[in-house]
Formats: sequence, structure tokens, C-alpha cells
Amino acid sequence: MSSSFDKYQKRRLISSYFSVVLSIGLVLFLLGLLGMLVINAKKVSDHFKEQVVLTIYLKDSAKDVEIKQLEKSLALSDYVKSTEFVSKEQAAESIKAENGEDFMEFLGYNPLQNSIDVHVKADFVTEERLQVISEEALTKSFVDEVRYDNDLVTLMNNNVKKISFWILVISGLFTVIAVLLINSSIRLSVYSKRFTIKTMQMVGATKQFIRRPFVWKSVRLGMIGAILALIGMAVVLYYVNQTFPELNLMNNTVLLVVLFVGVFMLGIIITWISTFIATQRFLNLKTDQLYY
Amino acid sequence: MQQVLYLKDASIFQGDSLVLSDINVEVNKGDFVYLIGKTGTGKSSFMKTLYGDLPLTKGEGSIVDFDLRTLKEKDIPFLRRKLGVVFQDFKLLTDRTVNENLLFVLKATGWKDKKEMTTRIEEVLNKVGMKTKGFKFPHELSGGEQQRVAIARALLNNPELILADEPTGNLDPQTSVEVMEVLQDINKNGNTILMATHDYALLLKYPSKTLKCDDNQVYEVVQKKN
Repeated sequence: MSSSFDKYQKRRLISSYFSVVLSIGLVLFLLGLLGMLVINAKKVSDHFKEQVVLTIYLKDSAKDVEIKQLEKSLALSDYVKSTEFVSKEQAAESIKAENGEDFMEFLGYNPLQNSIDVHVKADFVTEERLQVISEEALTKSFVDEVRYDNDLVTLMNNNVKKISFWILVISGLFTVIAVLLINSSIRLSVYSKRFTIKTMQMVGATKQFIRRPFVWKSVRLGMIGAILALIGMAVVLYYVNQTFPELNLMNNTVLLVVLFVGVFMLGIIITWISTFIATQRFLNLKTDQLYY
Repeated sequence: MQQVLYLKDASIFQGDSLVLSDINVEVNKGDFVYLIGKTGTGKSSFMKTLYGDLPLTKGEGSIVDFDLRTLKEKDIPFLRRKLGVVFQDFKLLTDRTVNENLLFVLKATGWKDKKEMTTRIEEVLNKVGMKTKGFKFPHELSGGEQQRVAIARALLNNPELILADEPTGNLDPQTSVEVMEVLQDINKNGNTILMATHDYALLLKYPSKTLKCDDNQVYEVVQKKN
């Protein structure tokens, strides 16, 4: 009889702890994801920026030596990530593969030009820099034309700025929500013990002595929640890394470790402070005020 | 005679309203003092002032060597360790057993040795006749039993003064007498007790020095002996 009652009590307690742990865990998990996004935001945006191709079209009269030299000098310059020579035959092949029809058959000749595809390093993918690069290439007599998608570059740069700004705003918002949510679950669990706290004071326990077990219990719940969040983050990191290995998510080991430790510490600090404040609140109340 | 409580020209306020004024009270070591009065006459406020839950803002007062006028927030726990407080509604910690209730008090008041603590708990439970019920939770005990445990708790640190705020208020007459017997025994062993009550039957049965709260005043009444 009493054992079933005890079991019921214990289950009730566990479920109330469960909700605290879960809210801490979820909030920290979301924060951690945002953190990972922030850490890798530059990498992701760089990844997209470096997809931008600047194509230098060469005149048919260009000599092999000149092409080689241009390619080499481009490769040596500090703004170029990689270059690739595309002969007009290769270009025709790839257009044929894309369109599924052979335009050379009805044209009778290949209208395409030899070209060099230049992938510019992410930091240099701005309108101004690309302008300078293309002008420089145009000074060569054997260069016919330089083409790149100027609109795309502008769009990308604007979006990257916007997205990073919003990520920061959302992270800030989430931190506030995290603190509020954790704070309110802890406040409720301390509130439910307010008469116990008062009784403890009545028998001569100091505030510090009363507070200690409350803080320790919440911090333990915070740690469990944080560990759950870390496991979630690790799983997400693993799968994203599997899906997009080119992003090299795992490369920033130091920052990732800092982030993981930070999330764990945040779990402890938030629960610590909110339990401290919540218990302090009830410790400072006089008995009569407890009933309001 | 050693004084454990003394108030001179003290006034007690509940919020802004004056509850009792010009109180002059003395309690000596070994006394058993009743505090009687109708509900709302300020018995509880008087008791609360004594254990530091209400500040004394007017007049002089001293209890177990603490000056009530200059009592600091951080001193209150140490004042309460020299007092034993018994409440009408028992105020046991409902989330733990009787033994753990008592153990909490001992730990909170600086006891360290485990063996000494166990011995002390047995001693006080024995005094109130609850030796065999230490493993029970408060909700598994009757009102009278809970109040005995509360008295045992008050005894733990050999208090210089026990404040009992209507200890029989929630109990039936029969149980009241049982709890009263416990308090009387404790008093005979040398403990000083100040007990607020409105149970006149008990007063008649166990006559002793009596203070009365009425009309914002506290004065001593002399019981007529039949």
C-alpha cells in the first residue's frame, strides 16, 4: 500500500524534474545549433561565394604560351582560389550534355571560345574586386571578354550580411528565451517548496544552508539537460558533416570544443543563478507574505 | 532568577496597524507562562516578534540574550537555535520522515557527528513518546503525533525558551491534554515555556502564570483558585 504510494510520489517527482530537464535541454540545444551556425556561417557563405565563376574568354588567336602564362599568373595571385582552362571543344561537350542536342550539327562549326574559369577566393567576391580583376585581364590583347554574374554577387553579399545579422538577432532572442524559460520552471519548482523553506528558517537554518540543496539539485538538472543538448548537437553535427563534407564542419575543433563547453557551462550558470534568485526571494519573505 | 525574556514599553505592529502597545513582560528561567486572548488580539504577532518574524520597532526587548531592537536579519537563525518554536499547524517538513526532519534541524544547526545526532534524535523522540515512529512520514501520523514530533524538534538544541503558538489549537481535547502533559514534563525538567493558547480548559487543568492579550494590552491575570 505504502510502497505503491511511494512509487506514485516518486513518479510524480520524476515527471516534474523531467519537464525542467527537457526545457533546459531543448533550449540549450537550440542555442547550441545557433552557435554552430554562427561558427560556421563564414564557412558556409564562403562555400557559396567560391562557387562564383569569373570566365575569361580568349580570342582564337591567343597562343598556348600566352594562355599558360595568364593561367599561371592568375594562379599565383593572392585572390584566386583555382583556375581551370576550358577549351572550346570541352565547352561544346558540356553544352551538349546540358541541352541534349548537338548545335554543331546544324551550325556546322563551333562558335565557342577557349576560356579560363577563375574561382575567386571568398573574401574577394565583391563587385569592386571582380571589376578590378576583370579589367586587369582585359588589358591582355588576347583576352576577348570577361564575364561574371554581377547580380548574383551583389545579391549574395547582401544576403550574407542580412543572414548573419538575423542569426545574431535570433541567437540573442533565444538566449533571452532560454533564460526566461529555465528561470520560470525553476521558479515554479522552488515556489512549490516555499512553505518548506519557511519552516526550515523557523528551526534556525541559515539562508545559505537552505539554499544549498536547492541550488545543487537544479544545477544537477541543468547538467543533465546540458548533456542532452550536447548529445543532440553532436548528432546534428555528425549528420550535417556526413551530408555536406565539403563544408569541413569538423575543422574548427577548438571553436567547437569551446561551444560545447560553453553550452554546458551555460546550463549550470543559468540554473544556478535562477535557483539562487528564486530561493532568495522566498527566504526574504516574511511568513505572512507567503500566502499572497 | 535568570531572565530569558524581557520586554519594556514594547509595541508590536502588524504592517502599519498597532496590535499591542506598552508591553511589559518578564519570563524567568524555568517558568511556564500562558499567553491567552481571543483570536485577533495579537497573540501570534507577539510570538512572531519573539522569534524574529516581525521586527520590534518600538520599546525595548531582549530574548535569550538577543536584543530584539537591534536584531539583524543574519542573526535570526542563531536566535532561533536558542529557541524552540512549536506551531499550531506543526510545520513539519512533509517531504521527509520524522527522523529526517529532526536530522535536518541538527545538520542545519551545526551538528556534525553522525552518532551523536542519532543519539540525540532518539533522546528527544523518547521524551515525547514517539520513539517507534521515527521512520514515518508526517502525513502518516495523527495530529497529536505530529505535534509531539514538533515538540521533539523544538527540544533538539536544548533551547533556553520554548515558544508554543497554540500548540493544541488543531487538536481534539483528549489529544490536547496528551500534548500538554508532554509540555508539562518538559517544563518540570527545567525548560522554560511560553505558550499561547485560547484553550481555557487547559489553563484550569494546569494552572500557571498567565498573561492576557486584550484591547491592545498585555497584562498578567491571576487565576482564582477554587
